[in-house]
Amino acid sequence: MSDTSLIDSKGQLLTNDGVPLKESLRKSLRRTKIRSFLLLLTPLLFLLIMFVGPIGSLLSRSIDDININTVLPQTFAQYELWEDKSILPSEEMFAAVINDIRITHKLENSEGKNIGKNLLGKAGTRMTYEYSGWRSLLLKTVKSATSVNTRSKEEIKPYKWEAPYKEQMIKRDKRWGKLEFWQSLGAMKDPYTMGYYLNAVDLRYDANKNVIQKADHLKIYKTIWMRTLKVSLMVTIFCLILAYPVSYLLATLPMRISNLLMICVLMPFWTSLLVRIVAWMIMLQQNGVVNDTMLTVLPCIYEGPINLPFFGETNIDLCFSEEDRIPMMYNFTGTIIVMTQVLLPFMILPIYSVMRGIPPSYMKAAKNLGATPTRAFIRVYMPQSVPGVGAGCILVFIVAIGYYITPELVGGKDGLMIGNFVAREMQQTLNWGLAAAMGAILLAAVLILYWAYDRLIGIDNLKMG
Amino acid sequence: MKNVITKTLVASAISAAMLAGAAQASVTVVSWGGGYTASQQKAYVDTYSSGEINMISYNGGLGEVRAQVESGNVVWDIVDVLPSQARTGCDEGLFEELDRSIFLPAPDGTPMDEDLMVDVPNDCVVPQIWWSYVPFHKADTFSGEQPSTIQDFFDVEKFPGKRGVHTWANAIVEMALYADGVAIPDIYDVLSTQDGQDRAFAKLDTIKDHVVFWSAGAKPLDLVNSGEVSMSLAYNGRIGGAVLNDGADYVTVWDGQVLEEEWLVLMTGAPNRAAALHFLVHASSSQAQADQAKWINYGPMRPSALPIMEAGEPWFNTGVNIMEHMPNTDEHMKGGILANPDWWADNGQAVNDRYAAWMAQ
Amino acid sequence: MMKFPSYTTPREKLWFYTYRTFCGLVLFFLVAPLIVVIPLSFTNSVFLQFVPEMKIFSFETWSFNFDGYGIRWYKELLGICSENSGTTVCTDRWMVGIKNSALIAVFATFFASVLGTLAALGLSNRHMPFNRLIMALMISPMIVPLIITAAGMFFFFAKLNLVATIPGLIVAHTILGIPFVVITVTASLAGFDNNLLRAAATLGGSPLRNFFKIQAPLIAPGVISGSLFAFITSFDEVVIVLFVGGTKYTLPRQMWSGIRNEISPTILAAATILVIFSILLLTTLEMLRRRSEKIRGVTPH
Repeated sequence: MSDTSLIDSKGQLLTNDGVPLKESLRKSLRRTKIRSFLLLLTPLLFLLIMFVGPIGSLLSRSIDDININTVLPQTFAQYELWEDKSILPSEEMFAAVINDIRITHKLENSEGKNIGKNLLGKAGTRMTYEYSGWRSLLLKTVKSATSVNTRSKEEIKPYKWEAPYKEQMIKRDKRWGKLEFWQSLGAMKDPYTMGYYLNAVDLRYDANKNVIQKADHLKIYKTIWMRTLKVSLMVTIFCLILAYPVSYLLATLPMRISNLLMICVLMPFWTSLLVRIVAWMIMLQQNGVVNDTMLTVLPCIYEGPINLPFFGETNIDLCFSEEDRIPMMYNFTGTIIVMTQVLLPFMILPIYSVMRGIPPSYMKAAKNLGATPTRAFIRVYMPQSVPGVGAGCILVFIVAIGYYITPELVGGKDGLMIGNFVAREMQQTLNWGLAAAMGAILLAAVLILYWAYDRLIGIDNLKMG
Repeated sequence: MKNVITKTLVASAISAAMLAGAAQASVTVVSWGGGYTASQQKAYVDTYSSGEINMISYNGGLGEVRAQVESGNVVWDIVDVLPSQARTGCDEGLFEELDRSIFLPAPDGTPMDEDLMVDVPNDCVVPQIWWSYVPFHKADTFSGEQPSTIQDFFDVEKFPGKRGVHTWANAIVEMALYADGVAIPDIYDVLSTQDGQDRAFAKLDTIKDHVVFWSAGAKPLDLVNSGEVSMSLAYNGRIGGAVLNDGADYVTVWDGQVLEEEWLVLMTGAPNRAAALHFLVHASSSQAQADQAKWINYGPMRPSALPIMEAGEPWFNTGVNIMEHMPNTDEHMKGGILANPDWWADNGQAVNDRYAAWMAQ
Repeated sequence: MMKFPSYTTPREKLWFYTYRTFCGLVLFFLVAPLIVVIPLSFTNSVFLQFVPEMKIFSFETWSFNFDGYGIRWYKELLGICSENSGTTVCTDRWMVGIKNSALIAVFATFFASVLGTLAALGLSNRHMPFNRLIMALMISPMIVPLIITAAGMFFFFAKLNLVATIPGLIVAHTILGIPFVVITVTASLAGFDNNLLRAAATLGGSPLRNFFKIQAPLIAPGVISGSLFAFITSFDEVVIVLFVGGTKYTLPRQMWSGIRNEISPTILAAATILVIFSILLLTTLEMLRRRSEKIRGVTPH
């Protein structure tokens, strides 16, 4: 082998078989790339189809307003021609509504089954999101507009209502004479709309599709977004405050003992979320363990009248008695406490794993150089633990911001977060566009944080347990 | 009388014929869980021998129903729905419009649709029960004068203590207006105006600082029992359950109760349609409706069930009289408000948004 | 107790004890609620609170009394009902839930382990284009809020006839499990020396044989601990089950509706079993970790 020249005429390195080394390496690299690609193919396709796909189709609903536009095309066309929106539209627009209703009402699907009535029903649901009362107004009008003159002898029986429609419609229901109903059509006239996104942040379109504020008493989502941020931030901060000292202790104790204590951290991590919620209900409710304990343990210092200078005889109560039981569950406090406990391991684990890697000799060196222990800790140790803190904070915040189960079960009146409202719109009020818009905003926030996490720490450095 | 028998026979014949064509799969009935589902299980399912019925629970709302129907992949058969959803769902074609002639008439021959306290809203619905939101307290909470009207619920000076209220707007805004002096027939007209809504929320403001909110039906009992609140709104059946089964000493104040309809509906494209229809006929009979009151004090929607119960007193399974616990007796209906589901279908979203904003303040 | 060096000032001692107490309280905060569940699950009353009858020891008579305790709610959990009153239906729903949960979790874990391991092996090639992006995608099911995933699947699964089916839930939970396997397997591959594979190839082993003989034993602990995470995630998951579960009940869903609607101590019995279960899992995991350290020659410092 040694007598074979390993360099060809051009001065390139060759392998044993005489192929240029560069070529051979590229080939081998290509082979491993193909192999890796084949390995990745199944999981990647699976995730793209079953995970990315569904979320994408959900998000597409946040701008989709096609349904209503197929039901009322003439009306919306007339809307464009309506110039002065401070006076009622002309007869043409009233007639367009009637025409649209009549055409839709007769629509059939490919099997010859009437679907028009249901389309109008759905349109009513959609329109009520824009202005209360649309549903009954539309359906009432559908009834009148589509009833036929049964006494007529013609083959195709004519409708009872004949043009002009304006007066008849207003007579049938005076809401047709109200500008607000007509103006609210403006927000629905385009098949793709940003309306749901506006709604999700307490804005709306006016008659000319300008973005304006919602009426004050209908503003709700800004509060909820702010609360979601507040809860996530508070939980992150509380977790950090509780996690940092504990992680330091775990990182500095001998492995044997710290592994034992680690069980305390990991056990809640491995226990069902619902179990933990039940556990906290028992602890924190009005008749719960915490209140019971306070009632038994806290001494009754003094209760009764006391003679105070300036105030005269005053009744003071320094007892923790039955009526002093603190409400800690089914409110904001409950949400914060439970979420802090639930997410604490997510903070401890990354900080701990970073701290384990900090050589204790640095601190010793700092102290030997004359730093006080406090100063050495702040100047030498803490900066080195920052990556762990960053990882923990982003992780806890990301998980907290999308929480649904915990606030739903323990949130009560002022502990609900945006996730709960997504669910509400999905399941109860059926405003799927709004749910999708809120979901999209939430998802965007999470993905930005996720990207930041990847940039700062790198997702492949994520460690479990 | 002969007429009645004929009608009943025809109806049974039709439903028997339908069943013959039905596959022997188990019909899925979706309801609310807890004592309510238990009463349906005992009154309808356990007395039903023509097929298998599987009761499951859901959290309400039409979300799942609509998703199933729109995707053409329906897995539920019968759903127990709230009144406004019965309307929206029927309008949108999520529920099937039913041939009304298959249902059994009352013992006196009145057809089912006329044997109701309200006009039947559409052809999709099959009568279930009346239930109500109603205030209650423990018998020993107040010494001296006892709460007797809805005004007392809103009067925290006369009757001190906190109030338990649910986390959505239905019923509480009606109660607020009624307590503020609006006559019952005018409530929805007043509520339809901006001023009227402002008035209702102004009344709610008077108890805002004293309210403890609940969202699960079992919670108000807990709140009142532990003394966390002195009075709470609750579903009347939950209060009745505690009183009738466990001997709790709760007092219900019927004045200002808001009664809600509850309907059974058949999903469009239900997988076991024929068997489900047969079961619906059974479950909506006057007798089955009366039987349900053996297990829970929700009012049968068919008035013809009331005399059956009255004649059979003590009717409740523990051997106590049930009529005094029913929401829709003449006595209790004096101060009763019939909820207007059409109004709620129109205005529910806006009013609930406002209510949510009010809660969060 | 810790011995302090002679030069420790009282202030330092005070600081030391305060610090230790604080840490103790935090650990207590983490574990205490879980422990409290256990005795309460043996209550005989219908309330989720410590009622006076549950006092074990009476100072007045100096005697023990266990009358407030029993296994009533465990019987209910197993579907054995002694009394059949008006308000409770005797139901085996809890057992059905446990069975469904176990079935779904086992299959979801299996698929997640296979797919996750494949992905991690593929991603271990640093020359793979879009490596970082694909990694981010693989881990995203863990990051995307569950409510959004659930809402998306809610519509999508309906189209595929996967709503209210066990296979549907298995697919959903497989997706949730993949990131855990990817992370743990990637971590166990991190220290892997590719020269080992090259050496084996030079010695004439087939790629498949080399994988099973060399790589597999090294990543095995990673796969197993990842699959444990996937298992517990599936076993504990409720949001997706609520949205796409339809008629299918799992244990967490039963607990969810128990907490929301019924509030009976049966939930506590179930919770106790789950706490014990998690302790068992945790022990397994800890043993695996030690084994893995031994194999890789990493010793605790």
